[in-house]
Order: sequence, then C-alpha cells, then structure tokens
Amino acid sequence: MFRYVLCLWLLCLGGRAATAQSTPYLPFYSSDTSKVYALAVAHRSAVKAHFVVPKTGNSEYREHYKRIVQDASTEVYNAVRYSALLDPVLDASVQQVFAKVVKANPQLPPLRLVLTKNPEPNARAVGNGTILLHVGLLPTLENESQLAFILCHEIAHIQARHMETTIAERLTALHSREMKREVRRIIQAEYNINSRMKALILGFSLDGTYHQRKHEQQADSLGYELLKRTPYDATQAHRALQLLDQMDAPATQDQLELGQYFSCASFAKTFNTAPAKPQSIFAVKAPEQTVLQTTDTLKSHPDCAKRMRYIRALAQGQVAEGPQVVAPEFAHLRTVSRLEVVQSWFDADCYDHALFDALLLLRHDPQNAYLRSVVQLSLYELRQHLINHRFTEVVSNVSTHNPANFNQLLTTLYGLHSTEYKGLSTCFEQLVPPASAADEYALAARYAAAALAEDPAQTTALQQQYLAQYKSGKFSALLFPTPVSTLKRK
Amino acid sequence: MFQFKRTLLTAVVALAVAATASAQTQTLDGVKSIGRSGISPIYAGNEVKGYLMYSEADKADRKNDNYHLDFYDQDLNKVSTVVIQKPAGKYYLLDNAFNGTTFGLYFYNHKDKTMEIETYDTSLKKVASKVVGEVNRQQLMAIGMQMRSAGGEGKMPFGGLDLRPIADKGFARVNVDGEKYEVEMYDNNLQLKWRQKTDPKSKFLESIIISETTDKYMIGTVLRKGSMMSKKVDPYMVAFDLNTGKKILDQPVESSKTEQLSLSSFTYDAAKHEFVAVGEYYKPDDKPFVNKSQGFYIKRFGEDGKLVGIKPYNWQKEVKGLMPAEAQQAMEDGFMNFTHSISKGADGRMYVVSEQYRIAGKGLDVAMTLMGGGGGSKGVIGNMLVFVLDPTYKLADIKCYTKDVSKVMLPPGAGFAGAGLLGQYIKAMGGFDYQFMQRSDANSLFNVVYINYDKEKGEATKKVVGNIAFGENGKFVVDKIDGTSAATNSFVYPAKPGYVMMVDYLKKQKQLGMKLVKLNI
Repeated sequence: MFRYVLCLWLLCLGGRAATAQSTPYLPFYSSDTSKVYALAVAHRSAVKAHFVVPKTGNSEYREHYKRIVQDASTEVYNAVRYSALLDPVLDASVQQVFAKVVKANPQLPPLRLVLTKNPEPNARAVGNGTILLHVGLLPTLENESQLAFILCHEIAHIQARHMETTIAERLTALHSREMKREVRRIIQAEYNINSRMKALILGFSLDGTYHQRKHEQQADSLGYELLKRTPYDATQAHRALQLLDQMDAPATQDQLELGQYFSCASFAKTFNTAPAKPQSIFAVKAPEQTVLQTTDTLKSHPDCAKRMRYIRALAQGQVAEGPQVVAPEFAHLRTVSRLEVVQSWFDADCYDHALFDALLLLRHDPQNAYLRSVVQLSLYELRQHLINHRFTEVVSNVSTHNPANFNQLLTTLYGLHSTEYKGLSTCFEQLVPPASAADEYALAARYAAAALAEDPAQTTALQQQYLAQYKSGKFSALLFPTPVSTLKRK
Repeated sequence: MFQFKRTLLTAVVALAVAATASAQTQTLDGVKSIGRSGISPIYAGNEVKGYLMYSEADKADRKNDNYHLDFYDQDLNKVSTVVIQKPAGKYYLLDNAFNGTTFGLYFYNHKDKTMEIETYDTSLKKVASKVVGEVNRQQLMAIGMQMRSAGGEGKMPFGGLDLRPIADKGFARVNVDGEKYEVEMYDNNLQLKWRQKTDPKSKFLESIIISETTDKYMIGTVLRKGSMMSKKVDPYMVAFDLNTGKKILDQPVESSKTEQLSLSSFTYDAAKHEFVAVGEYYKPDDKPFVNKSQGFYIKRFGEDGKLVGIKPYNWQKEVKGLMPAEAQQAMEDGFMNFTHSISKGADGRMYVVSEQYRIAGKGLDVAMTLMGGGGGSKGVIGNMLVFVLDPTYKLADIKCYTKDVSKVMLPPGAGFAGAGLLGQYIKAMGGFDYQFMQRSDANSLFNVVYINYDKEKGEATKKVVGNIAFGENGKFVVDKIDGTSAATNSFVYPAKPGYVMMVDYLKKQKQLGMKLVKLNI
C-alpha cells in the first residue's frame, strides 16, 4: 500500500513538472549518426586497447581471452552505436553529475559515461572505463545523489578491476588442469555426459556467481567511499538501494481504463477486466527456472535488503529512508526520461510495453501529444504485425511475473482481431482530437491513424507530407519500408 | 524423435540463453536432426494444451540411452523435462494422448520388438508402464513410414500406431497384423479393461482404422477381404461401446444394387445419436479414377445399427448449382475428393472438408496404372473443398479454395485399392496438402490448415500455409501465411485456438525454432 501511495505521489510530481514546461518534450532523435558512430568506434577501440591478451597461459587460454575481448568490444560498440542517447537534456544532466563525481575523485582512471536508450532500469561498467547507464533507471530515482551513488558503484567496479579479475579467474578455472581433467573424465566415462556436464557447469557458474557477489559488495563499499568525497548527499546511497529494491513494481496497480480510451459510440467494446484464466493442464509445481532465477544465493547481485544493511553499517546509521522530496529540476529529468523510456520500448519493437507505459502516463498527462502519438503508432504497429503473422514476436506473454494491469492489456491485445484496431484508433482520436501535425511524432501518428481508418487518400497524402518534411525521419523506414523483392536463400 | 548433441559450449550457451528466452517462441541449439514426429501436440478434448518433444540425449549405461521428454504448455513455456532410460538408439515415441487426468505415451521398443505404454499424471510423475504387445510386420512397416512422413496427420492406415485417450477413463490402442485386429482399452494404471478382436470364425482377413472416440463410442472402419491375394477390400463401419467394448455396429458401406459406394470417412453425430458415413459413388460397373464418380453420399445409421437414411448428392443435380467454377473444372479433369474430416458445428451444420486428387495422366495411363498396382506412378493433389450441409442434411454451400497442384509418388500396390483407400495411402504418406483441422472445444470455430508448395522442387520454394476458418458466425475466412523460409525443414503443428505453431529446423546451425503464429481469422 505504502509503495502504491509513493508511486502515485512520484507520478504526480513528475506530471506537475511536465505540465510546467512551456515546450512539450519530444524524445531525442538525430538522423545524423556520424557522432554516435565515432563514439562507438572510439569505445570499441578503447575496450580492445585496454584488455591486452596476457602472455601467460596456454594458447587455448589466450584464444579464449581474445574471443572475450572481441565479444565485449562488439557489445559495447553495438550498445553505443544503436542506443547512445546524446540528447541535450538527459545526457547533459547525467554527464554533469558524472563530472562532479570524477572531479571529486582525481585518483580515478580515465572514465567515460554513455547514457543509453535501454528501457530496463540498470547500469553497468566495462573494464576499460566505460560506464553504460540505461535511461530506464532514471525514472526510478529521486535525486542526483542517488544517481551519483549508482555511478560511484559502477566506477568502483572499474577502479577495483573487477572485470579483469573476473575474466582472469573464470578463464583460469575453465582452462585449469583440474577442469580439463574433469571434462576428460566425464567424456571418457561415456555415460550420462549431459547431466554430469550440466552439474560441472552449474558448479562452475555458482562459483563464479559467488565471486561476482563479493565484487558487488566491494563496489557498494568503495562506491560509498567515492560518493562521500563528492558534494552529493551520501545518506542517499541507502535510499537508492531501497528504490532499486522496489523498481520491479508497477507505477500503479490500478487496472487500465481501456474502455475510456478505446470504446465509443461508433465502436462500442467491452474490455474484460477479469484476470486471465489459467489455461495449463500441467500441475507441475513451478515452471522450470534457470540458475539465475532460482534463489537469491545464485543471483549475481546480493538482494537489496542485504546491501542496504551493509550500507547502513558503513554509514553508521546515517541513511536516508522513505520517499524523498524531489526537486523540480530532477522531477523534470524523470518526466523526460519516462518519455524516453516509452520511445525506447517502441524503438525496440516492444509495442505492448510502449502502449502500456503511454497509457499509464496519459492518466496524469491526458493532453500530452507525444504520448497520444505513441498510442496511435503502437496500435498501428500491433495491427501490422498481426496481419503479417508476427504478432507473437512483439507482444509479451501473459505471465505471473507481470503486473496484473500489464497482463490485462496483454489479454486484451491477444483477443483483438485485426479489424478491431480501426475502432480502437477512431475512439482514441475522438477522445482528444489530434492537433495539426506540428511535429514528426504527431505527423507519423496521423498517418498511422489514417492507415488504421483505412482511408487511402488521407494515408497517401500524409505519407507524402511526412516524407517531404522528414526525408530521413525517425519513422521513414518503419512506416514506409522498401519492399523486399527477393529472399536470400542459404 | 530428434537428437541433441550437447557439448560444453552448447551447455554454457543454453544456460545463458534460457534466462532471456521469451515465451510463444523457443529456439533450441544443438539439435542434430529432427523429423515431424519429434514434436507432437498434446490435446485436451479438441484443443491443443501443450507439446511434447522427444529426443535421444546421451548414453545412460552400456545398454541404455537417456531419452528426454520435454513438455511445453500451450504458450510454449517449458514445463519440465522427464528423463527416461531405455534401450540405446532403439526406443521410439509413437504417440501421446491426454485424457483429462493422465498422459499416455505409446512407445515402440525396437530392441525387444515390443509396444509399450507409460502413463504420467499432470505433475508428470510416472503412474504406470506396461508392455502391451509384440510388434508385427505390418506395424513395423507403419512405424518406418510414420518416421519418414512429413504430413500433418500422416499415419499409416491400419498400422495401429495411435493411442486414443478415453476421457478420464484410460487409453485405447489397436493391434493389427493384416489378418486380424484387436482393440484394447486400458485404465490409467494400464490394467486391461476390455479387448475386442476379430471373430475367430471369420472367413475374412480383417484390419481396422479407429477414426473417432466419443464419450460413448469408439468408431472406425473394418476392412475385410477374402484372402491375402484378393484385390477387393470391403469397408464396414464399426462402433464399440466404450465401457464394455461390445461391438454395437458392424455395417457394410460399399454395397448397393444401383451404385458402387466408396467410403471416405465415418463419424458420429452426438446431437442426433447417429453414425454418419461420407464417400463418393459410382455406377455399378465403373472403376474409380478411370470413370468419374456420380457424386457423393451421406449414409446414416442409428445407434441400433439400422439404416436411418441415405442421401446422394449427384454432381449434376444437387451439387452443380452450388459448385464453384474452379472446382467444377477440376471435376471435369477427373479429380476425386478425399474427405479429411466431417465435423458437426455448434450451429447444427455439418462441414465436410475434402481435397481433390487423381492419378497423374489420362485415360489409358490411369488404367495402366491401376492394372499395374500404381507403383512408380504419381498422384496429383488439387484444391480444397468444404461442403456445408444444413441440419436437415441439405447441401447448403460449397467453398472451393484453389491452390497450386502438387504431385506425390504412389506406393506399389496402391492402384489395387479402392478410391477411398488410395486416398488413405496418399494421406499416410503426407501427400495431401491438408495438414490438420483444429476446432474449439465448443465446436464453434474450425480451422483447416494446409501447406501448398511445389513438392517436386522441394521446401525451399515459395510455400503458403493456408488457414480456412469457419464456424457459427457463418463466415468463411482464409488467412494465408507466407511460410517461405531458408530452413532445412519446416513443419506446421496445431496450436491453441486462433493460432498455429510453425517450426523451422536449420541443419547447418543445428538450430530448431518454434513459434506460435496468431491467425487473422
């Protein structure tokens, strides 16, 4: 209950800050990819330069090391190239916090922060000094001090050379005589190779996870010390962990008012609000889980409660707890980041999540033109994927792991026929008629609505208008793809 | 069955990937090979409630291998893996069945040459296992054919390789050897409840095809012939009481003074308590395929076995007015209809789903083919047809769904069979484009699935997965999925209502992809 009240309060604050802005924020987009490409190449090179293949170890060890470095550099390149968010608001703000942290800790090695469009609330460090901060983390935080602690935690991983240590430890163990002997013994035994190999891998994985957990504790400890040297409030480290502990909870547990948006005189539809009935015939106690999902002892991060206790001890009880007052500047940052998260879901073809988040945010900001555009565009893409038999690729499965209101939306989406999207779009448009297409998102949404309404004249006109105004626009490839004439065969 | 090759690397990858795998799709690595029968849908009533994947994994000991039974739910979420240790490389899953409370798995043990059943409860704990008989030559041939079949419902006729679920009661199997048949019913603990077999005094050689199990009856077709060398096979409709095994119906179909009848399918109309036979009819001296059929018929029998009515639908009289032009042209070209399914909808209407087929060539070629037994000849597969009969059995509508013709090689001896039987052969070989029909539990929504591609050029050509949906709203909708892919093998399986499951296997990458596809129906 407390969490629910807190979330509502946070949402209200965010909403108020958003309406206070004179110019509505639109997610960042630049058709010029040269800057992001150069940045990605620089990061790839930096990873390769940092991880020098050791001269020790046998050739297999060195080859394996090379592969890991290659994979890591490619992963960093892709993360930066395809998701770096180089916008003037969010990136500038987080870089400012990052700069203060670095300035207060001159002993640190060279560091770089990249804000990415990833909607999942997370951050991670690469050994060469690159920190990737997901935009999805920002809405969960309350102030810059909490953000600073997250950054300090990641910096601590770099300073303590955790990635290097992990690679060396894992490779040493994997290529050790003991491991080779064990693998050889299993293979030579001939029998039950799968189960024995699985047990060996599981043991290896558990061992690695244990070391990783130790690293997390170190990073919390060192991160806390780094934070203390900055102008930020170190008591917020504890609160940051408290928020991380809650971040999987939905912003609200209220049911979505789908009927309010998508049912009208011309398309009267009743949306079922009852939870989906279980369909499985199996009475197997729990679905099969991976080692990473089972219990806390196997997670790479110790659970937040343990980490909070540890930080409390370090801070000798001087910790912030419970909801913090959110300054208007940070509230704006959170509002903007929420919109970027919506767009990130959309860009990642997760139209169910984009629609869900947009509908949740519209409850508090019903006039937001951008959110309304996302709703229309999501409906359009969902219908397109349904017609093209690719619906299940872009819509999540109903699951007990999802919030009930998200499951409610999924159940509705799975029950919709392609012909019904026209009605949904029409009703939504009637609720708040769209403003004249003043920006790219609104124009794209108008095109989507016209296509859903099966109005060919309007669709063609809007397509031409969009392509004339935004030749290399954000939605050009998505809405007006070049037809594939031939399929390459293998 | 398919084979997994797990190496240290693939095991690591599997552990890493499993955490991120999304439902409604599954990608498996390290799959060395797979046939269509490697995955089988699990039905509860009419609806698909999951899938069973059977694979040979690694050696368990000197004589046995570990076999994996991977269970997935209807959304493709992995439920569990059951590992069984059975004779190395020689243990095959023939069929699975779910009767509402218990899973029945029907195996062939090649080492001991036996047929075996294992039952599991819904928590996938083993309930019982039993050797139910020794395999005979005919079954061996059917097993080989089933392993090779690419067809959706491809099962060798008279092979008796399917296990029939009897709602909440147990399972039934048939045992045929070309001379006599046995039908056996077991409870969930695999205790034999009843057995019905060929009368020892019978002068005929008998085989049986079970076509349907209702809540009261098990119904099917018994085929009788005078001797091994006899070319004439007479089909009889039979029905057994599920509780006692007593035979309550045994009626010949292909006998008439004025017409020669050919049985295509036989079903039970629970609403009217009648048995219903569908087939085509010919003039008494005509030969199916060589001569054109006169039409199709419906023959109904009461539960007491008495004839209730016979209704012919003559091509020229009752059918011609409703027959779409493209179907009519095909009839002119000598195509016959093979009935894949007869279903009674919740709206009281009866839907007869057929597919056109004929022997390749014309006139004399066909006659030569029939005289020579059909070996080396080709069958031609044509359009899909749906005949709609109103509750009074009046022909109300005919829908024709055109598709590209495809060809299929006929097995030696196929030409000696009657028209209906030849269709059964083609079906068993996976020669028809028709794959399966899905229906909702309430019989309110039907979906006929077919795959159309040039079978002579192979699967890499343009492939269409067609879905013909119909039901109580009276509308017929076609949804065509572009099934063209770069996969080594592709299969389509039944799925939960409104979906089909598409499977692609990439041999080079040893990768198997399964995906549920929502239909626009």
